[in-house]
Amino acid sequence: MTPLIATRDLSRWYGPVVGLVDVSLALEPGVVGLLGPNGAGKSTFLKLVAGEIRPSRGSIEVLGRDPFANRAHFAEIGFCPQQDALYGEMSGLAFVAFLLRLSGYSARDARERAARAMERVGLADAMERETRGYSRGMRQRTKIAQAIAHGPGFLVADEPLTGLDPIARRGIVQLLLDLAREGTSILVSSHVLHEVEELTRNVLLLHRGRVLAQGEVPEIRALLSRHPRKVEIRARDARALARGVLDLPGVQSLRVSRDGASLGIETFDLEGFLAALPAAAARSRAGISSLETPDAGLEAIFDYLVA
Amino acid sequence: MIVPGLLASTGLLFRAHVRRVWWSRRALACLVLAAAPPSLAWLITVSNPKLTGAAIATTFGWLLLLQVVVPLIALIAGSAVITEEIEDRTISYLFSRPIPRAAVLLGRWSAALVFVSALLSGSAVLTVAFASRSSVPGPPLDGGILAPLLGAAVLGGAVYTALFASAGVFFRHPMIVGLGYAFAIEGFLANLPGRNQALTVQHYLRSLVVSRGSPPWLEVETVDASIFQPSDAPIVVLLVVIAAVLALASWRISRREFVLSA
Repeated sequence: MTPLIATRDLSRWYGPVVGLVDVSLALEPGVVGLLGPNGAGKSTFLKLVAGEIRPSRGSIEVLGRDPFANRAHFAEIGFCPQQDALYGEMSGLAFVAFLLRLSGYSARDARERAARAMERVGLADAMERETRGYSRGMRQRTKIAQAIAHGPGFLVADEPLTGLDPIARRGIVQLLLDLAREGTSILVSSHVLHEVEELTRNVLLLHRGRVLAQGEVPEIRALLSRHPRKVEIRARDARALARGVLDLPGVQSLRVSRDGASLGIETFDLEGFLAALPAAAARSRAGISSLETPDAGLEAIFDYLVA
Repeated sequence: MIVPGLLASTGLLFRAHVRRVWWSRRALACLVLAAAPPSLAWLITVSNPKLTGAAIATTFGWLLLLQVVVPLIALIAGSAVITEEIEDRTISYLFSRPIPRAAVLLGRWSAALVFVSALLSGSAVLTVAFASRSSVPGPPLDGGILAPLLGAAVLGGAVYTALFASAGVFFRHPMIVGLGYAFAIEGFLANLPGRNQALTVQHYLRSLVVSRGSPPWLEVETVDASIFQPSDAPIVVLLVVIAAVLALASWRISRREFVLSA
């Protein structure tokens, strides 16, 4: 099967500023989260994928094609750029319909599809208004609408959740999940890790223009075996619980809060620890009320990797 | 769904932008510039009773409209053709559609051309109209005065707009490049004696006016009719310049990448 994206020694710099360095990878179709802090090279990678810029060195193929200024490529992708820019004097509907006309739709089809896309992003009530009066979240949703209106097989979205309120954000996350279920491949970037975690477990981590890690979150997490896993437990008597779990598998450190209500544990054998914990808790009569493993998420993985 | 070709996508972009181009600060600046020749013509008819209407029309038409207002309006409108999309960071939407990239240049240039032509036509017509209010007896202000001025203004607007729109494809700051070209290079070459003038747009605009105009045009102080091109030659040269410049810029825009800041 043709990879969604295949790169070899892909590098891009802007004068003396390095955007991306020697990225060689192959991404399969599906939903991929592109993660990294600001300046990591996410937007550069997405612009290369979207065919907006060309590599300084190396090569990139998207669905088997060189994407730069490639009309066949543009017929198959939807691109939601990062910049907060629309034609202010056009209505949201007219803006999306205009871009659909450029994708080859008749005036009637373009208007119908644009209206459907605007409804899908939750802007049915505002789509006849000029975009200059839109809030940032509405503009963001209009950008997403123009990227999905022509039903692309591959959606490239640069920070699509930025500027959205929690309700709109949930709506867009659900929309992206629906598109993925319908068979659309999605490459979505964010520097807010939990946003991507809601969309996919398949991630590509960038830092200072280089690929830090690529794959499923659990696989990446497994690579971090040198880091102990954290367990946070709230209990009626955390001190008693601390005494009871001290000898459990892999325990490296224990920390009881000043109020004696919570216990922080670090262990190299999380599964073994969790298996033995109920018996230890029963023996110590500590009364556990909650248990969390806070570093199982992407945020912690990212912290570990860039440390 | 049929992916639009060059003509169809140029038409779509023209229609989208032909209304937009009127509603901007650039448009306001162009309007003020276009109003200058007729306003001054009116002022002169009121304040200087010695000048004939033909003298006022030809002097302001030649010195102000053709040599200053035409290049300036074309510079403001033409340099925005591509630069505005870059500065507004909207070019990503156009360049991620399956259209020939040249359509963005040609469609937006066509829209700018309509705008520039409308302003310059109005300016030329009003300049002659206000000049005709002069009560001093003199040559008639007929088609021999207006037609060549109108033709040169519109054709000059077209060729300068094409030049400056193309500058936006090649240079990051087309306004500065255009100012340098229109007023330093052209201003210098067009006023040198001899054949060097043939390297400037101004030379062909002046040739057009002199070859098609009535006798009052020959009385403008700086006119030396002996150096100008005959009859249709200026029109042909200017049309060739427009075609060549747009073809070159179309080739370039198809290959150039435009890096936008986030």
